[in-house]
Amino acid sequence: MINQKSSEFVSVPQAKTSGWQILQYQFMQIWQVLAALVLIYAVFFVLSPAFRNVDTLLSIFSQAAILAILACGTTVVLISGGLDLSVGSIFAVVGVVVGVLIKEYQLAYPVAIIGALVAGTCLGALNGVIQVVTKVPAFIVTLGGLTAYKGLAELLGSGKDLSRFPEGFQMLGSGYFAPICIMFGAALLTGLFLTKTRLGNHAFAIGGNEEVARLSGVKVARSRIYYYMIGGMFAATAAILEVSKLNFAQSSRGVSYELFAIAAVVIGGTSLFGGRGGVGKTIIGMLIMQTIIVGLAYLGVGTSFQRIAIGAIIILAVYWDVWRRQAR
Amino acid sequence: MKHLESAKMILQARGLSKHYGGVVALDSVDLELREGEVLAIVGDNGAGKSTLVKALTGAIVKTSGSVQIDGRETRIDNPSDAKAAGMETVYQDLALVNEISITKNMFLGREIIKDNIFGSLFGVLDFAKMDAKIRDLFEKLDIRIADIYRDAEAFSGGQRQAVALSKTVMFGKRIAILDEPTAALGVRESKMAMDLVRSLKDHGLSVIMITHNMQHVLNYCDRVMVMRLGKVAAVCDVAEVDGDTLVGLITGAIEKKVANND
Repeated sequence: MINQKSSEFVSVPQAKTSGWQILQYQFMQIWQVLAALVLIYAVFFVLSPAFRNVDTLLSIFSQAAILAILACGTTVVLISGGLDLSVGSIFAVVGVVVGVLIKEYQLAYPVAIIGALVAGTCLGALNGVIQVVTKVPAFIVTLGGLTAYKGLAELLGSGKDLSRFPEGFQMLGSGYFAPICIMFGAALLTGLFLTKTRLGNHAFAIGGNEEVARLSGVKVARSRIYYYMIGGMFAATAAILEVSKLNFAQSSRGVSYELFAIAAVVIGGTSLFGGRGGVGKTIIGMLIMQTIIVGLAYLGVGTSFQRIAIGAIIILAVYWDVWRRQAR
Repeated sequence: MKHLESAKMILQARGLSKHYGGVVALDSVDLELREGEVLAIVGDNGAGKSTLVKALTGAIVKTSGSVQIDGRETRIDNPSDAKAAGMETVYQDLALVNEISITKNMFLGREIIKDNIFGSLFGVLDFAKMDAKIRDLFEKLDIRIADIYRDAEAFSGGQRQAVALSKTVMFGKRIAILDEPTAALGVRESKMAMDLVRSLKDHGLSVIMITHNMQHVLNYCDRVMVMRLGKVAAVCDVAEVDGDTLVGLITGAIEKKVANND
């Protein structure tokens, strides 16, 4: 059963796959997008003298952090062949919920955080359950969620002063250190989930070929609900951090965050069509986007043109994905 | 084939039907499989072969019919029921997920979980154990694929089919059901795949195989069931037919041959 296509990899039948080989294999997956990040950074480094300092680098990371945490969940959902347009609105709801729990209900902030995480996870679960039960496509269900959850956030937050939080709560999102650590923590957890656990591995199988997964005995519907729950949980985590960072909560936050998250996932190289990808790529994708935004700002380019540039990059990234699929 | 006639029935299906609205894809089909035999299912396109296999294995919901395994009535409503009953199926074009590794494909839906707290709490997979099992199996079946951590799409059609077939040995306790195992394979790869099918017997499996290749029926199978327009046109011992007769039965040029296997 040896053929030319993979004969160079066929060695002794009993050869063990070493950890080193697997590391190499994983590096091969991300080196292109990592090289793109370094190259883009280098371009701004050369063009703008003001760009050349550690503070700028740290601010790129910290600006990326909150959206990158949100994008961890989006990565899981997209790998499983799903789509969640509602995470920006879940973000808004959870921001208001954590604010209300602390300011109106006077809960200790760790309790409020747990409550807010549960709220986000439940809204994610609702997305999944509606899809599985009604068979309405993910695009429509989560587009409905985008609007409906937004309304929910406005109902919960209207007429309330949700600002000036306790010191301990403010610590979470302020400065560089905490958000960046939480971002890497979230990425690590997601990475372990996707590569090491049964549910995580099923995301790739379902996204790759749902019918084969079903025939193999994978519980497709139940798994999908879990993936949307994870999406909701990471949206909640990001929202809590932002409320802490800004020191106020508002139902108007989170607008189009779902699109930034999807953009980062796709720029990183996770397939929009499911079955392929990883969370490391998403973090790099988000850093690429933030580097471009910050770099263009340093070059004196206005926000309007920054948006046009990001839009173009998103289309290029998806084009690359489509092109790679056709090349196979 | 004398030894086979005395062999016991492992699977008996009665009156399997599948209607799509007013269209009858499968019309009250009976099927019997004896222990240790390879039963071929042949027929023209649209004769109902794939529908029969899917109804048998729970991939589609059958309109009516019952299945007995080892003489016991067995409910098969979904693919998991079939697997629990010891039936392992290789569907045409739906055998492997391209995007995941050979190891993950082999154990998809039946992963081995680590035998510790991480396993029981988070479902952490034991890749070392799964890899070892696959390497043992591949050595036993003489399948020369070493890089089982690579995605399935990196492999040739023959290699992929070998992996799919070996899954039936790994998990199929009693029955392997194969939907055109040599479709889209070259001549040399077809022969390897068919040798593998023949060796399934040695691993204690009885085989039902859909095929379009009359040579494979005559060389590798014990009995053949001919389907036409959703019904059984004939069931014969392979020793008693030749290629022309089979083609005649498939096209309807030869009328229904009385099943001589009772």
